[in-house]
Amino acid sequence: MSERWRLLADDGVGAAEGLALDEAIMTAYRRGQPPRAPTLRLYTYRSHAALVGRYQHLEAEIDVGACGQTGTGVGRRPTGGGAIVMGEQQLGVAVVGPAPTAESPKELMERLSGGIVAGLAELGIEASFRGKNDLEAGGRKIAGLGLYFDGEGAMLFHSSVLADLDVSFMLRVLRIPAAKLGDKGVAAVRERVTTVTAETGRAWTGADLRPVVALGFAKALGIDPAEGDPTADERARAGWLAAQKYAAGEWLYQRSPHPDMSGSAVVKTPGGLVRVYLESSGGTIKSVLFTGDFNELPPALARFEAALKWKGLESEEVLLLARGAAGGDPGLGLSPERLADLVVEAGERAAARAAASPVRPEGSCYFPEVG
Amino acid sequence: MTEWLEVQGYRLALDRYYERAGHLWVLVLGPGRVRLGMDPLGVETTGSLAQVALAPPGTAVRRGEPFGSVEAEKFVGPLVAPLSGTVVAGNAAAEADPWLVHRDPFGEGWLAELAPSDLAHDLPLLAHGVGEVTSWFEGAVAGYRLRGVLAE
Repeated sequence: MSERWRLLADDGVGAAEGLALDEAIMTAYRRGQPPRAPTLRLYTYRSHAALVGRYQHLEAEIDVGACGQTGTGVGRRPTGGGAIVMGEQQLGVAVVGPAPTAESPKELMERLSGGIVAGLAELGIEASFRGKNDLEAGGRKIAGLGLYFDGEGAMLFHSSVLADLDVSFMLRVLRIPAAKLGDKGVAAVRERVTTVTAETGRAWTGADLRPVVALGFAKALGIDPAEGDPTADERARAGWLAAQKYAAGEWLYQRSPHPDMSGSAVVKTPGGLVRVYLESSGGTIKSVLFTGDFNELPPALARFEAALKWKGLESEEVLLLARGAAGGDPGLGLSPERLADLVVEAGERAAARAAASPVRPEGSCYFPEVG
Repeated sequence: MTEWLEVQGYRLALDRYYERAGHLWVLVLGPGRVRLGMDPLGVETTGSLAQVALAPPGTAVRRGEPFGSVEAEKFVGPLVAPLSGTVVAGNAAAEADPWLVHRDPFGEGWLAELAPSDLAHDLPLLAHGVGEVTSWFEGAVAGYRLRGVLAE
């Protein structure tokens, strides 16, 4: 008999309120609480909310002025990863339950994201979990994932499933390198990100996806999602958390041990200029974006971008990845050695900025983490 | 001089006590001070560390409670204290460069130092010595390999 999970559905939530309810739900799954089945929450934010990852610096990742002009809320997630835009075109997925002790974070993310993969399969979309903790369809990101253990025995799995995405708007409110590329910026994002609407040729909203994803969880995890409501305690706690934590400046604008830092480097090739934007955190590459005088991102560079994420910024490892990504593809006439040098150079610039300033000034070269 | 034990391709320091579930080690520096860090399997299965945030000196923690947190590949989770005590130091170098933990988990990549409050109670709960460490670690690696988390 399948385990019955509580299914929560809500739409149009604010940035602070949406995050606060997720955390409020975690309380009942902490150590010492009576056992209960997990909660699956499928919800949408009021358009729009710009949310940074747990340890990012908000002003560095989000254009707060543009958010003010467009009525966009801002928030800080408890989960890791990069800045995202949420709204009625994205389905937020939260799974809350006891933190398992026998699974690694990657195993858990892959298992839980299986519900989304199965849901998308109902629409004929072949999505898969990639090693960088994203879901991709046809090599492009269609959902982002995140995970948080609270230290008291509860876990929160997050995903943002892209029913659709207003790329121009995203480039307006997030400080990402593509935002500086004008029309090319939109194309750069579209080369790396896809949506359910784009994959199916039919317009979808986040709320439209709710029954599809619920069905996916039922099939992939063998559970029975039964619609329910937050308890009075959860609502009360969520209200308190929204006001006292998620909307509070102390949480929104907190400083991490060290911020994500960005750097770029450029090289001239027979085919024109190639520039790399890189964001790193503590010697770990968080994101990479290649741009240049090409109409489409060369496959070798696309593979290299993907391979570099969450790897150490060390010359030997970067060179190995460059060789693996290049394969038989000469990639714009750049040797793997030169490509690796380019990435390391950008990384050294990011590290130099980190050393020079513990708090990054405005301007992020963060490539969109859409979930 | 630290003696080393090799188990399933991993080098483990024999002078440490190991928290089995959390893959953290404890090194007794003296009667009132221990050092904590992650073991290499913990580092590998958590993923590439982007952030290490440690509780400030003076923070009292009980065994099982967080003394810090990490971010790795979109996962944010606690560093769970393998024993009770008061934080007396955090490794600022590891906070500034979490890759240190990957490069040298038993050395420069240590995480925090505690003044333990009940060492006599907590230490026997940890794996120590060739027999205990080998048995526990072989099982842990085998489990991860069986589930495809680690390459054969």
